[in-house]
Parts: sequence; structure tokens; C-alpha cells
Amino acid sequence: MDLLARSKQKVTDQSLKEAYFTASQTQLVRARFKKNRAAMVAGWVLTLMILAGFFSEFLSPYAPTMAGRDKQYENGPPQMPKFWDENGFSLQPFIYGTKRERSIKTNFRWVITVDREDRRYVRLFVKDWKYSYIDLNWDLPGDAFDVNFKALTFSTHLFGVDKGGIHLFGTDASGKDIYSRTLRAIFTSLKCGALGVFIAFVLALIIGGISGYYGGWIDSTLQMITDAIRTVPPLPLFMALAAFLPQEWSAEAVFFVISSILGLIGWPTLARRIRTHLLSERSQEYVLAAELCGASSSHIIRRHLLPSFTSYIIVDLMITFPYMVRLETALSFIGLGLIDPVSSLGSMMQNVSKADILLNYQWYFIPVLFFIAFVLAFVFVGDGLRDAADPYTDARK
Amino acid sequence: MVKFLQFTLIRAVMSVVTLLIVSLIVFSLMEMVPGNCAERYIAFKNTQGQVITIEDIQAEERRLGLDKPFMIRAGTWAGNVFFKGQFGDSCILRLNINNLLSDKVWISLGICLAALFFSYLIAIPVGIYAASTRNPLANNSVRFISYLGLALPSFLLALIIMLTTTVLFGESMAGLFSKEYRDAAWSFAKFMNFMSRAWLPIFILGWAATAFALQTVRALMLDEISKLYVTAASARGISGRTLLWRYPARHSLGPVINSLGFDLNRIFNDLPVVALIMTLTEMGALLIDALAFSNDQQLAGAILVILTACIVLVNFVTDIVLALMDPRVRTGLMG
Repeated sequence: MDLLARSKQKVTDQSLKEAYFTASQTQLVRARFKKNRAAMVAGWVLTLMILAGFFSEFLSPYAPTMAGRDKQYENGPPQMPKFWDENGFSLQPFIYGTKRERSIKTNFRWVITVDREDRRYVRLFVKDWKYSYIDLNWDLPGDAFDVNFKALTFSTHLFGVDKGGIHLFGTDASGKDIYSRTLRAIFTSLKCGALGVFIAFVLALIIGGISGYYGGWIDSTLQMITDAIRTVPPLPLFMALAAFLPQEWSAEAVFFVISSILGLIGWPTLARRIRTHLLSERSQEYVLAAELCGASSSHIIRRHLLPSFTSYIIVDLMITFPYMVRLETALSFIGLGLIDPVSSLGSMMQNVSKADILLNYQWYFIPVLFFIAFVLAFVFVGDGLRDAADPYTDARK
Repeated sequence: MVKFLQFTLIRAVMSVVTLLIVSLIVFSLMEMVPGNCAERYIAFKNTQGQVITIEDIQAEERRLGLDKPFMIRAGTWAGNVFFKGQFGDSCILRLNINNLLSDKVWISLGICLAALFFSYLIAIPVGIYAASTRNPLANNSVRFISYLGLALPSFLLALIIMLTTTVLFGESMAGLFSKEYRDAAWSFAKFMNFMSRAWLPIFILGWAATAFALQTVRALMLDEISKLYVTAASARGISGRTLLWRYPARHSLGPVINSLGFDLNRIFNDLPVVALIMTLTEMGALLIDALAFSNDQQLAGAILVILTACIVLVNFVTDIVLALMDPRVRTGLMG
């Protein structure tokens, strides 16, 4: 039920009015968010992308690592499944077989030719390489502590072909499937951003919470430090931190540290907002009441103050997320973050930075489009949520 | 007037404290790099064919003062930076950092400030227009552009422009000077050559800042336009541009000036990446070199401190300007 629209018309119906005034904060926010068409569309796009990232193994026919590379199809253009061609119509979509040859005719370069007579049919739910949704593989010091645990292992993939390969977005220089890598990259960037946002959030909550609740000289000191960190341009600082990563670290370790650094840099803005809000809430009567009842400081912060602005925190986290992803991308782009065998949106963008790519292998740019759509969707949803959570948006319009 | 001087003094002290905290952070970061200067120097001598012992390294450490406790070294370093403006030597390049940076700092700062200037030159009129117009097309396109400014990172934009110009015109737009001026002394011709190339980095650096500034200006204007004093003014018969510029625009100017420092921060953020793509040779490029390739902690630290100092300075100046310009802030200060 669209609470907002109906409440705006002068409805005499008492029950509807009541529904509006007794609606919980969450219901109101949801109703306002639904009215924002751009944010809704962005929300759906985002949901689809997150799902695609989460089920990337199932959706992609090949492993996004070197294991899944197609040696016969390096730097191959995208292959679009077709239903008909000059040889007739087929209910089952098909792609053409390809041949790779190098001879005096091709100037001794590998050239991929398409054989239009050789039809390869796309099949659904094929069995191929294995993947696990729970895959713990920790190499801790000491053999006894090594964890190697796999569960929920499947080998079914949404689609595939019997012979040769199917590469919807083409392949890169070593024959890795760009479609599979893009899905994987979305997942990696999501993970990275989520971890970074989480760390930033915890830090901001602790520092902003202490600062806002106690006030006085604690507040001034903490604010000074927060402001000092905020004045340093984040990317150079981030680069400086990331530059210390030893080259020989494993991809997982680098990934984890990069995400943590994102969090370590991202907290000041959040902390400031939490502090400002706490400062204004602290003088409210309900806090005084709790204090008079003998509640401890941590109890008051946790049970009374934090719930009073959960919606703001969620919105802030949503808005922070794309910045985290952007920072990670920029860092990987420079070459200080995640590097090529790892599929992240940044490391895939690193591949497009040559004129050769623009002239010959345009399909390398497909992940870039996904990145833009990803960040745009996040920004739109974040903005939509902010407008929806702000009770004064209606008055402003 | 006394109150105002007091305010200025407090602001100045706070800026210095901020800088001190930042330089402490930066110094700790520099210390985190494995291996110190002494080892680097000795390692260099080693490549020259000398045989090195542990004693040599320790003697070198004593000579450079590296055996002193952390706080003393941090203090000496910060003292040199603040009072003498000396950043010491880079032990990888074995050059004085001040000499290395001298020209490049000004080129970088010039480009960044120009980007900041142009972004506001565009953002203020367009933002005001977008806030006051009822034309949905203009409104939506401004919104979309400002969102795109967030989603399309400047390195991507730079990359696309660079690749397109290379492919279309055959001539690369990379670098700040054409070949014949690269090592020449500064002259009018070199300056003109610089200007004919600098617009691209300025545009790219200003791109994201413009998008942000556009959003800020538009949001602030929207807040102000719906207020009663604007209605009252239009009831008195003032309309159109006069109305906008005389009342709501002046009110929303304060927060806009306040956000200058953060916009500069954002521009500095993009500086190294843009430098990498456009193969510039200024400060951003040095920063990348120092961090990504040579692990040159002294140089990286110096650049970080310079960048932060600029932002702190801009923040300080905008605070003062705001106090001078805005009667509300002024009366708040002077009672």
C-alpha cells in the first residue's frame, strides 16, 4: 500500500490516516523509497549484480583463473549464440567453431578464423569444473593448524558447449574467459568493499561513539585526530600503506590487507557523523531517564542511542560503499592492489590501458561498463535511501 | 577586531596542530618500510664493488642519526620540515628532495588549483540554474552528470580521452610539454606549450570535483530557495536572476566556500593516477614512482606532507574568508 501518496490526498478515511501515522520508521522509508523510480531501477540492477556475483561459479562456464583458460582462443572476440544463419534455423542456440592458425599467409601471427559450417550447440546445466560455496583454505603457521575444508561442492554450470569453448565477452591475452572473470570481479569487489565498510564502520562506531557520548576534552582530542586524518588525500595515503605489502604474499593475504586498509582510511567521515548525531541525542530526556535508572554508559549507547539512528548509519554505509570500491579500483589500476590473476574490477581495468586494446581488442572494455553500472547503481540506491530516510524530503519538494 | 584576531590565531594554531599530527602519521608510515637509509646507502656502495660489514652499517646509522629513539627522529624530521622547509635527502635517489621537487610542486599545484577554479566556475552557475529551473530535462541531466562524475573515475576518463586522441589524431596527448621544450629553460614559448597541453589534466582532475561541487551547490540552493525570505522577496517584486543572486545564492555561498578544502583533497586524490596515465612528470608521478616502484619513503613522505599542508592552508584561508564575508559568522565571532 502506498502510504505516502494516499496520505497526501486529503483522505477522510480515518483508518488510512491512522495507518500513516502509526506506520513504523521502516515502513515509511520503504514506502518513500518505492516512489523513487530511479532508485528502484538501480536497486534491481544492484540486486541482479550481487546475485550474479554470488553465483558467479554457477553462471560462468569457465574458471576465472588460469585453470580455466582456453589455449586455442587467446584474445578471441566475443561469441554470440545464434538461432539462425544461412544454413537454417535451430531451436537450440549455437555458436561457430573456430580455428587458430599461423602460416605465411597470416604473416606468422596467430589468427582466429570462424568456420560457419561448424555449429556448436549451447547446452544448459552442463557438468564441468568443480566449485565449492564453502571453501576454507588457510595456510597458518604449523601444519596442524592448516584448515582445508570444502562443502557444498557442485560441478553444474548454467551453460556450456560440448566441444571447444563459449566466450560471451571474448577472452584476454592468456585465453581467460572475460565473462567468467567479470562475474568473479564483481564478487571480489563486493567482498573487498564489504570488508572495508565493515572495518570502517566498527572503527567509526567506537571512536565516534566515545567522542560524541563523553564530549569535553576527549571529544576535542579525538576530533582533532579525526580531522587531521581527513585532510590527508586518501588515495596517496592508501598507496603509501599498500606499498608496504611484501611482493611474495598470496593473493588472499593481499586482498585481506587491502580491504583492511580501505577500512582504516574510511572511518573518519563516518565517525564524524555518528559523533554529531550522538551529541544532539545525548541531551534528550530518554537518555537522562536511563541514566537516572542507573544504566551504564555502554548500555545507554548500545540500547538507546544506537537504535535511534540505525537508518542513518545504514544509509551512510550504502553511500560509503561505492567510494571503497572506487578506491580499490584506483589502487589496483596503479598496480599496488590486486594484480592480474586475481579478478577484481580494478585489475581487469588495468588491462585496458593500452592503445593496442582500443584498436584491436575492444571487448576488454566490457568489464569497464559493468564497473560503471555497478557504481552508478550503488550511488542511486544510496541517494534514494538517504532521501527516503530523511523525514523532511517531502517538505522540501 | 580583537575577537577576530583571536579567532585567526586559534585557527592558525589548530592548523599547525593538524599538520603536526599528519607529519607524525607520515613519519610513522615512513618508518614502517622495511630497511632504513643506512642499509640503502651501504647496499648502494656494495653495488660499487666495496665489501660491507655489519660495523659499516652501524657506523652509517650513527652518522645519519638512525640509532636515536623514534620520537627524537620524528621530532627532528618534523622540525626540519616546519622551520627550515627541508625534507632531507632521498636515500634511494641520493638527491636532495627540495631540489628534486622545486619546479614540480608548482606545476602540480598550478594544475590542481586551476582544476578547482574551473570546477567551481562551472558548478556554481549550473548548480544554481538546476536548482531554480523547473525544466525536468535540465534537472535530470544535471543529476545524471553529477552521478556519472562519481561513477566514472577520472582515471577511466583520462584513459578514454588519451586512447581516443592517440587513435584519432595519431599524436599522443601525453606529457606536459612537447619534445623540444621538455628540458628547455622556462620561457614564454615553453609556457605557451605548457598551456596548450595542460588543459587535459586540468579537465580530467576537475571532472570529479565539478560533479561533486554541482551536487553541493544544487542541494544548498534547493534548501535556500524554499525558505520564506525568498518568497517574501519575490512578493516585493524582485524576480528572475536578481532574486536568485541577491538572496539564496549569497546564503548558500558560505557552505560552498567551506567545501573548497575537501574538493582540493579530492583533486589531489586523482593526481597520481592521472599522472600515471598521462605520463606526466610532476609531483603525482614522483609519488607513484616513490611508492609503487622504488619504495622511496623520504620522497613519498615529503609529497604527502606537501599535499596535506596545501589542504590545511586552503581550509585556514576559507575559514578566515568566510568569517570576513558572512555577517552571520562575523557577528557570531565578535559577539
